Amino acid sequence: MAKRLLQGNEAVLLGAVKAGATYFAGYPISPSSEVLMAASVYAASHPELRFLQAEDEIASANAIIGASLAGAKSFTATSGPGFSLMQEAIGYAHKLGVPTVFVDVQRVGPATGMPTMPGQGDILQTRYGSSGDYTSIVFYPSTVAECYEYTIHAFNCAEESRSPVVLLSDAFLGHLNEVVDLEAIDVPVLERTLEPLASGNTRLFSGVATYPDGEPATADADEFIRQYEEAKARRLEVSERYAFHEYGWNKDSDTLVIAFGITRRIAQPLAPHFALFRPIRIWPVLQDQLREIAPRYKRIVVIEGSDGQYASVVERVLYRDVYRVPLLGGRMSLEAVREGLDRIGLLPRELAETAV
Amino acid sequence: MSYKDKIKSDLFPTIWCPGCGIGLIMTQLAMVMDDLGLDKTNTVLVTGIGCTGRMGAYMQFDSVYTLHGRTLPVAEAIATVRPELNVIVVSGDGDMTSIGGNHLLHAIRRNPRITVLCNNNEIYGLTGGQTGPTTPVGTKTVSSPAGATYSPVNLQGLVNTNGNAFYAKTTVYHQGPMRKAIKEAIEWPGFAFVDITSQCIENNGRRIGFPSANEMLNYYKKEYRTAPPGSTQLANHQLGIVKGRAAEPKGEPVRAAAAAAVGAAAGAAAPAAAGAGAGAAPAGKGSGEA
Repeated sequence: MAKRLLQGNEAVLLGAVKAGATYFAGYPISPSSEVLMAASVYAASHPELRFLQAEDEIASANAIIGASLAGAKSFTATSGPGFSLMQEAIGYAHKLGVPTVFVDVQRVGPATGMPTMPGQGDILQTRYGSSGDYTSIVFYPSTVAECYEYTIHAFNCAEESRSPVVLLSDAFLGHLNEVVDLEAIDVPVLERTLEPLASGNTRLFSGVATYPDGEPATADADEFIRQYEEAKARRLEVSERYAFHEYGWNKDSDTLVIAFGITRRIAQPLAPHFALFRPIRIWPVLQDQLREIAPRYKRIVVIEGSDGQYASVVERVLYRDVYRVPLLGGRMSLEAVREGLDRIGLLPRELAETAV
Repeated sequence: MSYKDKIKSDLFPTIWCPGCGIGLIMTQLAMVMDDLGLDKTNTVLVTGIGCTGRMGAYMQFDSVYTLHGRTLPVAEAIATVRPELNVIVVSGDGDMTSIGGNHLLHAIRRNPRITVLCNNNEIYGLTGGQTGPTTPVGTKTVSSPAGATYSPVNLQGLVNTNGNAFYAKTTVYHQGPMRKAIKEAIEWPGFAFVDITSQCIENNGRRIGFPSANEMLNYYKKEYRTAPPGSTQLANHQLGIVKGRAAEPKGEPVRAAAAAAVGAAAGAAAPAAAGAGAGAAPAGKGSGEA
């Protein structure tokens, strides 16, 4: 039992190391830079972790793809603007089917936005940020210990699904220091699944649609659909083994609160008054769980650090309207949650009376 | 073994237009690979987007057909993770110098052990013949009807900002010099760039007055001259190889590599670098040859 004080971003690095990562590439950007800095410090005394501070996020994202093809478990960490720059490479990793982990420590966007206030505005970008159709797998922890735990799961899931897996965090969580006991977190580590480059094959890892022999398949819908469906089925099947979520608080309430990441922590004082559903696997959306739980509740409230990105997904999955409490401009606080609930007439009297 | 074993000839004909210069590069690359014993267990190809990028699909190696402009970060990461491999980048001029220009700048600076063969046809061929950063001033293209406005990027100058780098200039007409350049580039212990002038007859040559690819090749024959022995800088239309100081093997911690470089510059064992002095990297280009 070795308890220690640890920051969310540092926990991500330690989780990656635990998962067997041997390559990191990144570019400094708040609030994710501690992952890069911790990686550089770790690599200085552990040469098995290769480290590159690249010229930009585009290079970082492409470098981790090359490293993974070469045989290394690889990852990068960034925030909003950098994550936007990585989108083309994420699509490329999906097309190739190459295991990689992208950590996005969210801040308020769009563009340079509000460095460095916390936000949760990249929910849809993690699903639809690159061009074309692909099947994303995304996890979002809520505690420093979970940053460690779900980073390991992200690497495992990337191996099994052969796809780029995104680990979401936020400025609040990334910079949060908590006492953790990492030894108490036991997640088995999966081995590499992809045969490394130069193993005696003549494979073509192509972003262009091609047949298995490498010839262009750029005008063959049947071949495209065959490959797309195969990749989609693999990701959906694998992600079912990672259907992480939390269902709790006052389940007898008539109102279900949905919150994730740091927002679930902020909303903790609501526990006596509402039921809670916290998706940890953000994508693929946990529709079976939502469809099972939601009918028990008269109202659903989504509290999130964006203007209804996840709420719109819940509405689509459940075919019903939900209440929204958007925490915008970095105002991710209990006061903002109270104000939001009050605005829609759902603030419990006890909470209103204790408001400061 | 024959060089033909390096090529997937069952996929022929290629997608390249009749008269295209890329096949001449692939053939010479395959011959060098055969000479040096490069095979699918010790070599990886990384190619960019554009006509040139298709080369990886036609060769008997694991090959990464990257996004447009992103060959170098992919190649550098492969070389970092697997320093024992030969990592050969084959890319067009637009891919390498325009959309990939930032990566080129920084790959030159970091000096990974990778070989770049740049098919420089002075045009965006695959997309129909638009002007690019290598197009000579005044060239009329489908996107510069009054002639290209800006001076082409100075590739030799860029590469030579690193005193450890390797730059070679050749054309596809000059098969012997091209083969020598490719061979020495692969053997170079750091970043090696082979700038290969090549004809795009269909989407450039005809529009600027060449009736066929043959006339373009004859133009290279007439215009290009071998640089004098010992040249440390190649003039326009000169063929040759300019090498910096050979760097220490890659994979060392940065501090150790820097210390080694300082030692080499100060030591009597590196006469060619004697004039380099402290921090004057370009002056280290002492061992040019033609």
